[in-house]
Amino acid sequence: MEPLASVVGIGALPVGKHKDTLEHEMMLRALVDAVTDAGISKNDIDALSFCLPRPYAEQRYFGTFMAGYLEIPVDDILLEVLGNGMTGGLAFDIAVDRVATGKAKVAVALGVNRELHVPTGEHMHLSMRAVGDVDFHVPFGVTPISWYALNATRYMHDYGLTREQLAAIPVKNRRHASMNPIAQMREEITVEDVLAARPIVRPLGLLDVPPRSDGAVAIVVARPDIARSLGRYVDVVGRGFYHEGIHQVSSRPRDLTTFESAEIASAKAYKSCGITAADLDFLEVYAPCSIVELILTESVGLFERGTGGIAAVDGQTAIGGRVPVSPSGGLASRGHPPHVTPLYNVFEAVQQLRGEAGQRQVAGAGIGAVTAELGDYNATMMHVLSAGE
Amino acid sequence: MTMSELAYPPRITTFTAPFWDALRSGTFTTTRCNRCEHITFPPKPVCPDCWSDDVSWIELSGRGTLRSYTEVVIAPAMFAHEAPYVLCLVDLDEGVRCVSRVLASWDDLRPDMRVRVTMREAEPAHLFEFVLDGEEVTP
Repeated sequence: MEPLASVVGIGALPVGKHKDTLEHEMMLRALVDAVTDAGISKNDIDALSFCLPRPYAEQRYFGTFMAGYLEIPVDDILLEVLGNGMTGGLAFDIAVDRVATGKAKVAVALGVNRELHVPTGEHMHLSMRAVGDVDFHVPFGVTPISWYALNATRYMHDYGLTREQLAAIPVKNRRHASMNPIAQMREEITVEDVLAARPIVRPLGLLDVPPRSDGAVAIVVARPDIARSLGRYVDVVGRGFYHEGIHQVSSRPRDLTTFESAEIASAKAYKSCGITAADLDFLEVYAPCSIVELILTESVGLFERGTGGIAAVDGQTAIGGRVPVSPSGGLASRGHPPHVTPLYNVFEAVQQLRGEAGQRQVAGAGIGAVTAELGDYNATMMHVLSAGE
Repeated sequence: MTMSELAYPPRITTFTAPFWDALRSGTFTTTRCNRCEHITFPPKPVCPDCWSDDVSWIELSGRGTLRSYTEVVIAPAMFAHEAPYVLCLVDLDEGVRCVSRVLASWDDLRPDMRVRVTMREAEPAHLFEFVLDGEEVTP
């Protein structure tokens, strides 16, 4: 596997409430940590690929502000990217691409996402406008998570999935999060807790869906030869992207129980590095709720269609199982600052592949994949990472 | 139905006005391409299939099947007074899918039930919603 680029440094704040810290104060901590972790200096950075902060971040033009705040001259490029839940995935993809195409020797993908200083009402209002047609969906009161509930209702009907089976996923993810020092929700839960939780968008309840979260992450990407001279690295070996040309719902009736974009993007990612889904030692996915993780594990080829629920119940996706999924705890337990969640996924994958994941270490982790998405998984970005030789 | 204000009204433009005007008179419409005959929803000034701008308004039957549904229990502030409410995906008999509400309780619903459109009288626009059509089909 020829690496496209290598991750040489990571930094992240604990996911959760950072109410008394400003966005740039959060960002600088993650960035300084990542650069220190890499063993480089700010002068080595050629490119800064920022996640665009959420609309209610006070500081606008955040990327150029940050370059000024920390006095970082940038040779190659500085930009802020946006793609809702895919934002962090795009920021990482661009950093990898600047390096892989020889434009930068060292590029940093980074971002901060503050949610908790905004009242819930305002937050939901903005989110609704992002995940539906403002004129033909929003007037009905379509909430972001309700799209996934529509997947859940249909999946349960088509495959006979029970609520108890689906609850295995939040329970497993919370157990993973209980071993993750940066996770927001770490108290273990049971299937009974999931079933008894108050409904949010039926059939999904409070423990199926993510909390609101603040967070900041920085990932330092370098040319593979530079990475090798630094000594400690994880290679980015594969990449796949696909957008269905659909935003949330297609005018043409289609299946609600599979994610076509994930099937195609993952197949491209595996092919680009000559592996199959069976070669993955773990998968750190963008799955805002239980049903999304279930469908995704089928769509990326880990399980046959209709069997993802049984697999989760059997512990196949738990640490110690056949292919651990969301070893970090996932979005509902690690926490979910949406624009930077995909960078937290990379952070987890790098910790796993370096063998630095502590109690939640996936034994023998050599190859792992991360995903990010748009809409109702209408677009998928997958990167495959490898511990290298 | 009592007349009510929409919590989040749609924007009505020169292009979409015929759709909203038709709802007001009890008719559910969309656009069909005159070149490739593709029907799309919501209505669009260009056919999304072949990108022809030669499109016409057509009347929909308003009948279809319930592809899926969810009861929104926790709603955004502006919709909180309407919660709980049931959102649905309906596959209309013309072969197009739309998002709407179904006026039924969560416990009474099952996927693939037949539904038909009904109009919610509201301002500044009427909204299309669905009710159970009485007959159920197996897929």
